[in-house]
Amino acid sequence: MTADGPALRARGAGVARAGVEVVRGVDLDLNIGEVVVLIGPNGAGKSTLLHALAGLLQLTRGAVERRGQVAAALQAPALARRSARANVETALRWWGVPRAQRRERALAALSAIGARHLADRPAGALSGGEARRVHLARGLALQSDALLLDEPFAGLDPPTRAELLYDAASALRRPRGATLVVVHDRAEAWALADRVLVMLDGRIAAAGPPGDVFVQPPTPEVAAFVGFARRLEAPGAVRMLRPQDLALDEAGPLRGRVTQLVPVEDGVRVELALDHGRLVTVAPAPGPKPGAEVGVRLIGGVSFTR
Amino acid sequence: MHFIWDGLKQAADLLAHGDHDVLTVVGTTLRLALISTLLALALGLPLGLALGLGRFRGRRAMLALANAGMGLPPVVVGLVVGLLLFRGAPLGDLNLLYTFNGIVLAQTLLALPLVAALSAAAMQALPGGLLEQARAFGASRAQVATLALREARVGVLAATIAALGSALAEVGAIVLVGGNIEGQTQTLASAVLVQVSAGEYGRAIALGSILLGLILILAAGLTVAQQHERRALLGRPS
Repeated sequence: MTADGPALRARGAGVARAGVEVVRGVDLDLNIGEVVVLIGPNGAGKSTLLHALAGLLQLTRGAVERRGQVAAALQAPALARRSARANVETALRWWGVPRAQRRERALAALSAIGARHLADRPAGALSGGEARRVHLARGLALQSDALLLDEPFAGLDPPTRAELLYDAASALRRPRGATLVVVHDRAEAWALADRVLVMLDGRIAAAGPPGDVFVQPPTPEVAAFVGFARRLEAPGAVRMLRPQDLALDEAGPLRGRVTQLVPVEDGVRVELALDHGRLVTVAPAPGPKPGAEVGVRLIGGVSFTR
Repeated sequence: MHFIWDGLKQAADLLAHGDHDVLTVVGTTLRLALISTLLALALGLPLGLALGLGRFRGRRAMLALANAGMGLPPVVVGLVVGLLLFRGAPLGDLNLLYTFNGIVLAQTLLALPLVAALSAAAMQALPGGLLEQARAFGASRAQVATLALREARVGVLAATIAALGSALAEVGAIVLVGGNIEGQTQTLASAVLVQVSAGEYGRAIALGSILLGLILILAAGLTVAQQHERRALLGRPS
């Protein structure tokens, strides 16, 4: 393997499930030393792509080139009914690591992800978050050239997820390995990614650093997925807006009517009906009255011509 | 009622005095149970793995067959195996009729579907993703199979208990294939049959009690092992 070549490369990869093509011509390079986050809505084909990259599913077309060893930590932690350390050591045995090195490597991986104290606990006694930590430790311990992680934070309550996310963000920086993480939450992508791939409907719809993809999405479909959920239509153009892209301002150039108010953590969520679309913003509590006419000023958003 | 009491006392006497005939028949019974169960495990566990986890044409039909096999009438199995072992029959050259190896063969055939069907059910109850994850971490087929057996060990022990129990209790197939020959193919269960036919009810109850005792001891031992495993699996502090 060359030092600077990709550890994993897919070209025109297609994968079918139950006869339906769910991954439809994906090109992807996974380079040594980088963390790539694959994000998309449910059913976009992310997990299927990951299975195919790991060699667990056959391609229906295209090719996957693996220049080193590829390990995948699938979505369910699926720990064997043994201690946490034994689970990591078993994975090392499958990986072909000599017995003499297993214990030390298992403990190092558990420590790296903040799970050293769980080493002797039986898998059945671990909480959901702890099991995910041990699962992640199994993946890290292998020191594979490419490590693929499928939704490593799925099903955790927000505080547990946040803790694991920040620990993982540093543990996944692997100078000698490439890492692909499937997530479906933008906060996870921000925390982890050098590069983000947005997958929509079986294809890679956008690729780039999170600051580009999430702030300047290339298409209306990607924009809608990354949070620019509301549209303001104009002849030949559409402007897509997140709640933070507009402000209530009596001197603003647009007028709208308040149709719904919902209290949220940092104020009230205000839904507005305008002539060319329905917008949402967050205003300081208590906010305008339902049915009131208000002025609106746009302070952000992305525009697309049609 | 005094029959039963007398029988129990007789059983205690026979064991206490090391009655040679009784020890022989206990030995034959244990050897038969052990060997046939080991053979049924050796053949049935790979079959159970394939039926529980495999994806091949005819798998469901074979699984149905294994499930049906758990209810095989032993007399019919004994009859068929006996006929096949007759001189001039397809397996006649093996010279197994009325031999210890013959009853091992018949009992293995009876225990095989028990092991295959129960272990297949245990494999199918494994948590989803466990084995696929092992493959994703580079496990070979043999390593995946070992993991499956290990994780399904409570079910595998249940299959072992069922196979042992069926061997200890079997009469019909063993009499038909083995001929119930004292010192060779007679087991505790088939000896009870002989004693009852001869009107020796006390001795029949004595042998029956010994048999029940054996079944209880073996089943209890395996159950303790099984439940210990279960506790370990659940991660309760022991």
